[in-house]
Amino acid sequence: MSDRMISVTMRINGEKTGPVDLPEDLMLLEYLHEYLNLTGTRYGCGQGVCRACAVIHDGAAGAEPIPACITGVAWANGRSFRTVEGHATRDDDGNVTQLTSVQQAFLDHFSFQCSYCTSGFVAAATALVERLEAAPIAPEDVEDVVLDALNENICRCTGYVRYLEATRDVILNTPGLTRAAVTEENPS
Amino acid sequence: MKRVALILAGLLALVVILAGVVYVAFTGPGDIPPASRDLANLSREDRAQMEEAGEYVARAGDCVACHKSPDGLALAGGTAMETPVGSIFGSNITPSRDHGIADYSADDLYRAMVYGITPDGGHLYPAMPYTSYHAISRADSDALWVWLMAQDPIERPNRPAELIFPFNLRPLVAFWNLIFRSDPPDQPVAGLTGADTGNDPVARGRYLVEVLGHCGECHTPRNLAYARKPDAHLQGTVIEDALAPDITPGALARRGWNAADLEDFLAEGLSPQGVMTFRMFPVLSHSTKYLSPEDVSAVAAYLTEGAPAPAPPAPNDGALTDNAPGHALYLGLCAGCHGAEGQGQPFGSVPLRGNTSAMFDDPLNLVRIIREGIPARHLTGYQRMQEMPAFADRLNDDELAALVNYLRQRWGGHDRALSEEDVAGASG
Repeated sequence: MSDRMISVTMRINGEKTGPVDLPEDLMLLEYLHEYLNLTGTRYGCGQGVCRACAVIHDGAAGAEPIPACITGVAWANGRSFRTVEGHATRDDDGNVTQLTSVQQAFLDHFSFQCSYCTSGFVAAATALVERLEAAPIAPEDVEDVVLDALNENICRCTGYVRYLEATRDVILNTPGLTRAAVTEENPS
Repeated sequence: MKRVALILAGLLALVVILAGVVYVAFTGPGDIPPASRDLANLSREDRAQMEEAGEYVARAGDCVACHKSPDGLALAGGTAMETPVGSIFGSNITPSRDHGIADYSADDLYRAMVYGITPDGGHLYPAMPYTSYHAISRADSDALWVWLMAQDPIERPNRPAELIFPFNLRPLVAFWNLIFRSDPPDQPVAGLTGADTGNDPVARGRYLVEVLGHCGECHTPRNLAYARKPDAHLQGTVIEDALAPDITPGALARRGWNAADLEDFLAEGLSPQGVMTFRMFPVLSHSTKYLSPEDVSAVAAYLTEGAPAPAPPAPNDGALTDNAPGHALYLGLCAGCHGAEGQGQPFGSVPLRGNTSAMFDDPLNLVRIIREGIPARHLTGYQRMQEMPAFADRLNDDELAALVNYLRQRWGGHDRALSEEDVAGASG
């Protein structure tokens, strides 16, 4: 760990954090765990490959999952992120009152067992749903788009199918995420 | 006016006739030495031994790199080679009667390998590296023939070359050969197989590099006629949108390579200087990882022959403050895997301290790797590297330039910063 420090400010789950002096080579995941006590984001491979550490970056291009374990606070500085703790609706005491449709679907579909990968899947699926709100797709493309969006997230228990089915159901059952299929009667 | 036209027509006719005479008289194949042994009457043991030797020749010559099909069938043909004048596709060299080389005799294979001429007198494009294979020993060519003929035929039609006029006129290659194919071969012909292989590792390394390995086909700059420049041998050039670097002994030493590093790189795809990337990764997969340790050493010995002691540029930590935007980007996007000090991680990511790509004058490879990433690599044995993500969507031109300059300044020995245009415009 470097002994050079930088002053860092960022938004996490809508709340401003910092300014705080951090080692310049600290990773975003360590900041979440060690400084903010947000431990729902998981450390998996430590190489940005398994995506257990995925969080949502709310940037100019919209919501995008990024691997927090290899993304440094030097880059995160001044940006805005959402972790798994920030998705559900909470009451004034901080208790969860309403899960998001993605979270609820993962429960309904029994998508996970050990849950180590789950916060990463929530990030990837949520970012996908938000992207589709801006740019709906044809229903017949949903399967491929879901697979593409979740393909990098690794799960060692359940074989992925229930994650994919849950995400597909959310997309097909939420108005505005899909548009009518392109047909001869209904050209796009 | 009419008279001028007549004279011009006459001159043109003369040129055509002369060209025809030259074509017929001077552009055929040169000598074809007798077969190294009686190939029609091989004992079972001899045939097995020649097949084994021939497979090794095929590996060393990296036939599969260009002759595999896009869907991965070895020797079935179809891999594209991009040239400035169009695409050429590796041909089917399985013993298929309709599409392959079933009718080739051992003499025919030698003629194609050495002179670039098919059994019916047609000319191969020099994308087939016959000007390198030119000095293959007859024994190696024969072993290769025995092995090729023992492979399963694959019924895949060849894809014709797609070249612009006049390069689509194959007979013109004859005149190219007249100028650029040095007959007889001016390289040592001690082969890998047969009786005359010799014991000098540097000579064997030279044969592996210059003849079978045809390294110069990518690493030597080409002239306007797309022939390799003899005075710039192995001095590096951009080919197929990537820099094939200068691999002369002096240049390798300046980038910190010694013979042991080269041995690791060729045998395992990895050395302290980096990992096989772009078109060099298939070279590892199909060719260099199959070379015997002795042959890998021979190649390394030849490539470092007469080189001074390795003297790579010292890391320059001044870049941390001189290029603060680049340093912040490095820490934010790269250091998670490559380490704050560029130390890398075993089985994950290469060290950047001492990385060869940061040292090239041309930033092309560095820019492409940052923009496009690198797929996960299964190198050899247990050795592998994780996927490197693509950062094209994360970095604007200004940031890309800062990061590229930072890597070049901190570990590449470069003082001068490249402009944003130089970096963003880097492409093949």
